[in-house]
Amino acid sequence: MYLRNPKAIVAMAFFNIYGLISWQVLAAPDAVLGKAKSQTCFACHGADGIGITPSIPNIAAQPPLSLFYQLVQFREGMRKGGGMEALAKPLSDDDIRDIAAYFSVLPPPEAKVGDAAKLAVGQKITQQNYCNSCHAPKLQGQKQVPRLAGQSVEYFVAQLRNIRSGARVDMDGTMGSAARGLSDEDIEALAAYSASLN
Amino acid sequence: MKLKQIHSLMFAAGLGIATLASAQALVPAPAPAAAGVPPTWAQGRTADGMNPALVPNPSPLVAKPVNEILIDKLKVPPGFKIELWASGMPNARSMTESPSGTIFVGTRFPGNVYAVVSKDGKREVKTIAKGLHRPNGVAFVNGSLYVAELSRIIRYDNIEQNLDNPPAPVVVFDALPKDEPHGWKYLKLSPDGKYLYFQIGTPANIVVPPSTHATIMRLNLKTNTIETVATGVRNSVGMDFQPGTNELWFTNMGRDWAGEDLPNDTLNRLVRPKGMNFGYPFCHQGDWLDPEFGKGRTCDEFDKPEMKLGAHVSPLGLRFYTGKQFPAEYKGNIFIAEYGSWNRTKKAGYQVVRVVLDAKNKPVKLEPFVTGWLQGEEYWGRPADVQVIKDGSLLISDGEAGAIYRVSYSK
Repeated sequence: MYLRNPKAIVAMAFFNIYGLISWQVLAAPDAVLGKAKSQTCFACHGADGIGITPSIPNIAAQPPLSLFYQLVQFREGMRKGGGMEALAKPLSDDDIRDIAAYFSVLPPPEAKVGDAAKLAVGQKITQQNYCNSCHAPKLQGQKQVPRLAGQSVEYFVAQLRNIRSGARVDMDGTMGSAARGLSDEDIEALAAYSASLN
Repeated sequence: MKLKQIHSLMFAAGLGIATLASAQALVPAPAPAAAGVPPTWAQGRTADGMNPALVPNPSPLVAKPVNEILIDKLKVPPGFKIELWASGMPNARSMTESPSGTIFVGTRFPGNVYAVVSKDGKREVKTIAKGLHRPNGVAFVNGSLYVAELSRIIRYDNIEQNLDNPPAPVVVFDALPKDEPHGWKYLKLSPDGKYLYFQIGTPANIVVPPSTHATIMRLNLKTNTIETVATGVRNSVGMDFQPGTNELWFTNMGRDWAGEDLPNDTLNRLVRPKGMNFGYPFCHQGDWLDPEFGKGRTCDEFDKPEMKLGAHVSPLGLRFYTGKQFPAEYKGNIFIAEYGSWNRTKKAGYQVVRVVLDAKNKPVKLEPFVTGWLQGEEYWGRPADVQVIKDGSLLISDGEAGAIYRVSYSK
């Protein structure tokens, strides 16, 4: 599944996202260039896109557009946290596309085993809250919507609480309304369930 | 009703819908472990209904570089020309022109407001505001720029003298509802200069909204009070006053998840200054009862649209053609920007259309005017608003590409 030639698969992924029209020659996002531009990221997110501590998100195998959106939001001051605003500030749109291309083709985080009862609750809430509508059937993310599968439990819980409280504002209010009715226990179950997927 | 009460009411309405929706959910739901509120755009979706894979299009946060703006793909009628007029404005949407020719541009997602200044045949884009909350509506009144954010209206005084260093805005009205769904506003100054018209959209796809929502409102600039102008309007993100009659015409977007080809989005006309009800959520497009909320109702209770525009085409900004540059047959026509569909398997819209009115002021013809943003099933641009400028040409904003085009005519 994970090709030796990341450029090829990135080009394909990019084509799928934008459906770009073949007569228009474009500078496709470049995962090789992206790796060079991602050196600063590795200190926390790892060269494999797996956060070095549980408070740092796993960004391996995130949909490229999702990484692009988050970095743009950090750069524009629309999202804050982890010092990412300052790190994203100097990046151009092309830089961000290349960085997103690099991390998006890495193997996804490993699934984590969790308490069976808790996972069942998490799965139920996932269905009841229509999470799959946007985050895709196996929570692997799609387009601008992030991958939740294999995400760090600690990071997941912190972010969803922030969205619920309004400390983190999402793009269009969809996540704000989705998180409004969740209890702390619900959020923990969702985090465990997401982490158990790959 | 006090605005403070709206949120609790809204929440109650949301729960009501959630109960309905979960009864029809794809997965049989045992005792709920959580509130189980679907995202608002998914309300009204049924297990036996439309293609469940449909989800809203990604929101644009950045502008396309010029080499990704496929201007050569845009088609206009013979004799017309279309050119890229300005670019580099992420999510450029609603436009207004000042008497001196500055174009002000609002956005929905990036929170920016732009000013496009023309000098010696060239345009310069200035970002005059950042970090606003859905500053979609713009209107220019006596030297001041009014901006409608999601829940408030603000004003930048003497803006044209201070484009490089805009003053802090004056808050004009800040007690509008804070609901995100359909919460971004269009803003239009009345011909007498006394009122700013705007909409308060319905807070979900299909709900019985509080009386404050699914309305067109107006703000009295002298007394700073708001009043309801029309009800039953699901969401209007485009308004213009007809020259001569001074009547407000507006677009309205139909509900989702009821069908690939139903209900139609519509073009509407306000013939009475108050009291008109355009049917939402009970009756859509003037003649089609809602499958759920229409039970026991009839469309005869409600006012009718002037024209059906097609389902899911997402009409946003509209303008009457008031210029002298285009051929005589275009005089008084209505141009409408169609942002394009998401809730339809085969995409629709993604074009600017032209509506022709007859001698009795009735729309009689609807035809494409500019097409090409949609190539096959993929779009590269999305028309968001139109603006007739002083030289008689037509500007078109593109919320996806972050650009403005200019359509001109020469014999």
